[in-house]
Amino acid sequence: MDKAVLGVFGYADVMINAAKKVKEAGYSVSMLSPVPLVHEIEHEMGKRFDFLRFFTLFGGLGGFFGGTVFALGTAVLYIMPRGGRPIFAATPTLIISYESTILAGVLFTMLGFLMLCRLPYFKKKVFEEKIAIDHFGLVIEGVSAERFLSIEKMLTENGASEVRWVEKSTC
Amino acid sequence: MNNITRKCREINEDLLSIMTKTGPGYYVLVAVCGILAITLFWLPWAYQIYYGQGVTGLNMPVPWGAYLVNFVFWVGIAHAGTLISAMLYITHTPWRRAIARGAETMTLFALILVTLSVFVHMGRPWNFYWNFPYPNTRQLWPSFQSPLMFDVFAIGTYFTSSVVFLYFGMIPDFASLKHSSTGWRKDLYTALSLGWTGTDREWHVQGRATMFFSSFIMPLVVSVHSIVSWDFALSIVPGYNKTVFAPYFVTGALLSGFAGVIVMLTVMRRAYPVLKKYVTEYHYDRIGQMVLALSLVWSYCTLMEVLTGIYADTSLEKEHLIYKILTSPSMELFALMIFCNTFIPLVLIWRRVRKSAALMFLVSLFVLLGMWLERFLIIPNSLSRKFLPYFWHDYHMSWVEVSITFGAILGFITLFMISIKIFPILSAFEVKEDVGLPVSKEDDHG
Repeated sequence: MDKAVLGVFGYADVMINAAKKVKEAGYSVSMLSPVPLVHEIEHEMGKRFDFLRFFTLFGGLGGFFGGTVFALGTAVLYIMPRGGRPIFAATPTLIISYESTILAGVLFTMLGFLMLCRLPYFKKKVFEEKIAIDHFGLVIEGVSAERFLSIEKMLTENGASEVRWVEKSTC
Repeated sequence: MNNITRKCREINEDLLSIMTKTGPGYYVLVAVCGILAITLFWLPWAYQIYYGQGVTGLNMPVPWGAYLVNFVFWVGIAHAGTLISAMLYITHTPWRRAIARGAETMTLFALILVTLSVFVHMGRPWNFYWNFPYPNTRQLWPSFQSPLMFDVFAIGTYFTSSVVFLYFGMIPDFASLKHSSTGWRKDLYTALSLGWTGTDREWHVQGRATMFFSSFIMPLVVSVHSIVSWDFALSIVPGYNKTVFAPYFVTGALLSGFAGVIVMLTVMRRAYPVLKKYVTEYHYDRIGQMVLALSLVWSYCTLMEVLTGIYADTSLEKEHLIYKILTSPSMELFALMIFCNTFIPLVLIWRRVRKSAALMFLVSLFVLLGMWLERFLIIPNSLSRKFLPYFWHDYHMSWVEVSITFGAILGFITLFMISIKIFPILSAFEVKEDVGLPVSKEDDHG
């Protein structure tokens, strides 16, 4: 049965360097850290594509049109003549649209964040408690028994303080 | 274990100690504030609902009084949290990290009081849903061309966005805390962390999402208080009908919001000395500079407000200004407002004052008082001299309004104190970023 290998590192730069080498060897890796390492990882491994922007854009545009239709639709359905003022007034409609753009944009960004991070996920994941505080982890999934030793060697040689072959559910 | 690693552990331990180590003084204070909040806020409100709005000082031509003053005041307090989180994030201002979470939490509770102030102001609060468009037998929908409906949308959006932003920012900290806590806390933080483990993918999306949230929330901050100001400025009432109101209100909101943050930080540092490691003189110095700058802009806007009235050269505006600036007791209140918001903050020119937590606390209390007075002098005061003299009427707060105003402040303190025992007051991962990354080179250098 395939399992995951978890390498624990004390230093961010050592972990990123090891991840680069494991990746070059053809494995897919996942890096765990208590703080964001976005710039450091992008510097070493190149930029990631940002899918979240599509959620935000969709939410923002949807909110804008939704708010506009809402305000103008109300004006059409419930006509309230007020001293010769226009039924379709641009300025107040834009204010409602502006707020609904932000509201839907925020909600869709949150939705995108959850979907792209695959959250909520309450089944156990490969993790080590100290990674939540001050250590860094490298997870290589789908590793067979024959390959474990070579990966263990690779990680140890590249600075891992601890390497474990774990069931996918070890939290 | 190198220095940075040690500091990272310390941050987690400090954060947990603030939440778990609770002395008897805390319980006494929460109990006293909670009981007083119920006695001063909820009971008078129940009394008001039972006997009607007649128990307040509201009467024609002043239907907007202390409750709407409180509404605008709490919206202002809510502004600094979002400003610190969003605007300072976008401008890559590092000193925001240690204080952002506390300020965001303050925003949330201030917004709860904003909503409550509107409910208290309503004669029949159970009909609040009439503000929402829904199919009904009266065949009526709210008018989206009314500034009061702009308000419903703006405050609703602000509240929702603030809750989302606050919770979103806490997810990595919940994940971190669930490992070091036990019992109900562990279950709660496990549920709230949603299974976050801190993978490179998660951090990447989190960083992008923070940027998008900040980009949305920054213009929202400006729009919310501008819209609140239009509740007044879009009318034709002398004293309300001023084009300077939007920037005037936004500046005032930020000024009172920053003053609120200073008060909160000083009290927290006093109660939890461990926070002094994270919220330092440097933070006070920076916030002090913001307060000083905002005070100067606010003073300029106040001058413009008065000059606009003078230049309008109408009897209505003149009467309003005479009543506001030259007639007792408004005259004294106006002078006190200028003293609190213009003269007192001038002491922040001196760095020594900005770096002193006690002096900053004192200045902030004056600013908060001054900002409440500013709203009072605009909202009921302008209505007191509305148009023709036969319609003039002085407004005085009744004991119910005074009680509810103080009860709201105590309710805010109670909610905040309870929250600091459940939710992390410091953003641990952001403070760790401040400390720096544990890198092998540091060990090489010893």
